[in-house]
Amino acid sequence: MIALDQITQDIIERLRGAGADKAYCTAATSVTREFNVDGGQFSLMRTLFDNSLSLTGIVGGKKGSVGINKFDDAAVSQAVADCMASANSAEADAAWDLAPEGGTRTFTQGVLEADEDRLFDRTAELMEQISKRFPKILVEQMIVSHVRSHSVYRNTNGAFYTKDAGYYNVDLMFSGHDGEAASSFFGTGAITDSLDHPFMELGSIERDLADVEKQIYTKSVGEKFTGVLLLPPGCLGSFLGDIADNFASDGPVLEGTSIWRDRLGEQVADRRITISFAPGAKEIVCGQSYTGEGFLAEDFDFIREGKLESFLVSLYVSNKTGVPRAKNSGGSMIMRPGDRSLQEIIASIDKGILVGRFSGGQPGTNGDFSGVAKNSFLIENGKITDAVSETMISGNLADMLQNVVAISRETVADGYTVLPWAAFGGITVSGK
Amino acid sequence: MSIKKRRKAPEMKEGRKNTMLDDILTRRKKDFAPGVHTELRAQVNKTRGVSFLSGSLTTNVRSEVSGVSARVYKNGVYGFSSAAEYDADAVAAVLAAATENALFMDKRAGRGTPALLPVDAGQTVREITDSDPVQKDYIDFAGALDAYMEKNCPGLSGRGVSIRADSMEKLLCVSQGHDAHVILPRCYVYLRMTADTSGGNPVELFVPVGGHGTFDTVFSDPALLYPKVDELYEKLMQKREGVYPQAGEKTCILSGELTGMLAHEAVGHTVEADLVLGGSVAAHSLGKTVASPLVTMVDYAHTCLGAPAPLPIYVDDEGTPAKDVVLIQDGVLTGYMNSRQTAQHFDMEPCGNARAYLFSDEPLIRMRNTAIVPGTSKLEDMIASVEDGYYFIDTNNGQADTTGEFMFGVCMGYEIKNGKLGRALLDTTISGVAFEMLKTVDMVGDTISWSSSGFCGKKQPMPVGLGGPAIRCKITVGGR
Repeated sequence: MIALDQITQDIIERLRGAGADKAYCTAATSVTREFNVDGGQFSLMRTLFDNSLSLTGIVGGKKGSVGINKFDDAAVSQAVADCMASANSAEADAAWDLAPEGGTRTFTQGVLEADEDRLFDRTAELMEQISKRFPKILVEQMIVSHVRSHSVYRNTNGAFYTKDAGYYNVDLMFSGHDGEAASSFFGTGAITDSLDHPFMELGSIERDLADVEKQIYTKSVGEKFTGVLLLPPGCLGSFLGDIADNFASDGPVLEGTSIWRDRLGEQVADRRITISFAPGAKEIVCGQSYTGEGFLAEDFDFIREGKLESFLVSLYVSNKTGVPRAKNSGGSMIMRPGDRSLQEIIASIDKGILVGRFSGGQPGTNGDFSGVAKNSFLIENGKITDAVSETMISGNLADMLQNVVAISRETVADGYTVLPWAAFGGITVSGK
Repeated sequence: MSIKKRRKAPEMKEGRKNTMLDDILTRRKKDFAPGVHTELRAQVNKTRGVSFLSGSLTTNVRSEVSGVSARVYKNGVYGFSSAAEYDADAVAAVLAAATENALFMDKRAGRGTPALLPVDAGQTVREITDSDPVQKDYIDFAGALDAYMEKNCPGLSGRGVSIRADSMEKLLCVSQGHDAHVILPRCYVYLRMTADTSGGNPVELFVPVGGHGTFDTVFSDPALLYPKVDELYEKLMQKREGVYPQAGEKTCILSGELTGMLAHEAVGHTVEADLVLGGSVAAHSLGKTVASPLVTMVDYAHTCLGAPAPLPIYVDDEGTPAKDVVLIQDGVLTGYMNSRQTAQHFDMEPCGNARAYLFSDEPLIRMRNTAIVPGTSKLEDMIASVEDGYYFIDTNNGQADTTGEFMFGVCMGYEIKNGKLGRALLDTTISGVAFEMLKTVDMVGDTISWSSSGFCGKKQPMPVGLGGPAIRCKITVGGR
């Protein structure tokens, strides 16, 4: 195994020697084993051996970064020189900084050794189950892999972190077909540290396949209406991600364009909403262990009982703006479940839409969004009725959080996130 | 839209001259396993990035990723392997691993399909000047634009200037086909501005400027881009006073940028042969009328209408020499974009669409420079012909389905009332089903606009060019 601890130590010393007063670097090796299915048939097996090396030097508040995938002396020397040349060309900004103290830590996560034969068998099993149970589903592409990585992080404040991680990943894209009639495509997947369970049981794969098979024939929603938007966990995650990006991430906080800029500690959502970023949660597979700035990753609440508890900003933006930094870099989102069953929630909706996938652009800075409801069903008089097509939905992300109708007690854990179903009122739905 | 190549400016610092990949692959052809088809590729991807966010330099990074990969075909399935090193041992290792993977797949899931049909054999070498300016050049250039924006654009609540230069150099050896050594560099400056409406709502506009080539060949003096800043600011000031369009189906003029997005997202993806096999709408549409007779659409390889295409491709990563693919001819769907494997399946000619992004990526079917071909109408006549509709100019995103259903975000446009442009529009969306909407096209402009600043996302990202003329059509407007 390549001695990454020595390489990183050498790089930190070289950066210091070249004038950096602060520096950090990460060196990693990885092996990926992957099976691909295309058009419903096995198509490809890949084995990838890769390296990565990223280094950052800060000299007098001026910062430069370089990324390469080589560890040989010539490549490292060039990278150090480029890094310092970039830093020396930058403008000084005292906000660039590192975690004040480090220490030595070792992390081991997931399943390090791949069982390639069993991985193939689980993949073949999923293909067979789809064929038997969901005969109208055509798998456009499935990618199943095991990724193992070994990484070392060091900085000039004494942080020395070593991490070994391995996980299995399954991603599939598919659509429903009946002759020339077809549904929209849909993507689902999960990350796991075990092959003990069939892939069909992971995340929401089984439910998603069943739903898409019902979306081959669609109807128009007819007249424009304002109703309830019911989001399954996958689509809810996309909306919550947009909320985090739009109102709480580095860019809008630094520029001051976030509409939550001055609302830390205030009520920004219904009291039933609690959202955390929790890489340490037991349902999360191979969550973040440390940040690039050298902080150990800690779980934190983004919104707790409707109150904005933390922005999702880096140390740099924290130093620039005065808002506290986030305790990890995001991801591993967990939303607290509600107290009603999904069936009860559906039964309570007079008119609404269940949206499996939202095809829209980045919402406006103010949170306005509009786009096409894909893989969606109409909800009428407490029941899911027709699948719909060519249907637009529009609303505002910040308003949505204030207009919560219900949150389900069921959740889906796919290794990346743990999320319930959630229903929001006041959404405009319009057909062609 | 792309800035023409200019002479290198004297004030530019001398950067590194890129070291080209040494050919240690050709001599390894003797090691290719018998009875299989092998591709061996070494590749370097370079990225240089600088971003100013409201005056702060938030990104200052250079990256370089390189290595070697092998792909082996046997009986309808592939094995692939890659390594980050590029030496004799790494080449031998990826050849062995890819061959082993192909044999594993053949044993467990082989399809028994025949060997790949041959393509034209030969050698393609396209070495262009690939200089590597120092980071200070990027920082100074972006900083000058940021300073100009700060000084000359009052009332902004946010501003951004970014430069991204990327290039991919590939050295390819194949069992049969074209061996190649090619480089594809491009560089873009991205300008972004945010301002508040009178109601306090932020509105944003964004424009990429640049094209094929390295930073020092595409750009020389930031002052040459000041008119672009002024133009963007003027549009933003109009937009902050803008109105939402009315929802519903309207007769509209789409700019060339939007037509290009339509060509790429809503039609192009559905006629990629792997997505056809995955069940796209085009599986049932070959030979059928899918658009107005005014519509012809082509995926250009390297030359379009007598000029270089925005991102010219001369050979793909399977060793197939690149040719144009006519996808729609006078409204009839006439072809798919193929790899060698899918071309054999569909009994079509492979035209060089199999492209890989990184050394560690296998070739996938990708678009190159996909465009609707210009017609004969003048833009002013097209606008004058609309009684009550919209002129949609810029888009900030686009998504489409394998059914051809699409949605584009429109971030700049104007009302058209009685043949004249009216008020500016706030952000909206337009949507439709491509093969239905294209049948409503009744005017096609005479000038093509290209863009090539983004990445197409599939399993891998990929730089692509997309283009088209303005078109008049009926389209569903999202309104608010």
